[in-house]
Amino acid sequence: MSDELKLVDAAKRGSVDAFTELVHSYRSGLFRFLQTRCTNHADAEDALQDTLINAYRYIGSYDPRWRFSTWLYRIAIRNAGRLRAENLAELGDHADDGADPLAHCLAESERDNLWSSAKHILSDEVFTAMWLRYVEDMSVRDIASVLERSLSWTKVNLLRGRRALQAEMNGAAGNAGSEAYG
Amino acid sequence: MRPATPEVKLMDKLASTLREDAADIDADISAQLDSRIRASLNAIEPEVVRQRKAARRPVSFWLASSLTGIVAAFAVIALLNMTDSNEPASVPRTVVGNTVPPVGLPALDLEVEAAMLASPLTQELEDLQADLKKAQELVRGDVRIDF
Repeated sequence: MSDELKLVDAAKRGSVDAFTELVHSYRSGLFRFLQTRCTNHADAEDALQDTLINAYRYIGSYDPRWRFSTWLYRIAIRNAGRLRAENLAELGDHADDGADPLAHCLAESERDNLWSSAKHILSDEVFTAMWLRYVEDMSVRDIASVLERSLSWTKVNLLRGRRALQAEMNGAAGNAGSEAYG
Repeated sequence: MRPATPEVKLMDKLASTLREDAADIDADISAQLDSRIRASLNAIEPEVVRQRKAARRPVSFWLASSLTGIVAAFAVIALLNMTDSNEPASVPRTVVGNTVPPVGLPALDLEVEAAMLASPLTQELEDLQADLKKAQELVRGDVRIDF
């Protein structure tokens, strides 16, 4: 049995320490991803907290046939989506663009961050698929599972996302920049 | 080994740029957030543990539950018996029309009569409620010990 599965088993028996150790290596990546998905920094923090709480509460439903990160991202995406919907319902069109956590994080970067462009070019799902593929190194099958989409949908949209970002990277986005892919 | 095509090179460049740019995003979890998460985790327990605990209640819980059930059953039986005993065993039937003239009947104070008949039942009900309250407190005490 792998170390991760041992920690999952201990967490299933109610060990907070085991769970904390289990999620420790995923926390930073998760928080980074949530910052790209939430409308402000506080929401990203809340989404991370909710994700970890829900993961611990429902650890019994985790199926070890899947990677733990796949399961964790699935919860994170749901939480981020819920918080974003609540935020948009509250603020509507008056949402403060300056509060975008991604813009805040990248303020000191020398060049445009490709993820910042991706956020405007790609749809939410394609953005997430691209993130999971290139940052989290997830397989297409795992990405399809996280997004609850078919394998072919995932493959096609990863290709579209790649093309759109390549065009953006080459500075040839032109008209494509205004089109939402996916 | 074949040399990489321009398209493959572009893909590699895209992949490495995406990784580098993701790493540029600040992912520091503040100590405050960390302690907040830790406190939240300590305050809850997995559903699977809760279900296991619920399935493994102590004997005292089942004893208290059974006692409550027995008390409630006795209460219902007693209540039914009381209701039956208030009924007259055998009342000779007389036709009112034959014995009492239709006019000049004394007006009966029905409300007073009803209150007099109901008073033993009220007393019994109060006693039963007191018994039930005691049993509920016993159960609550056990549940509190449980969690």
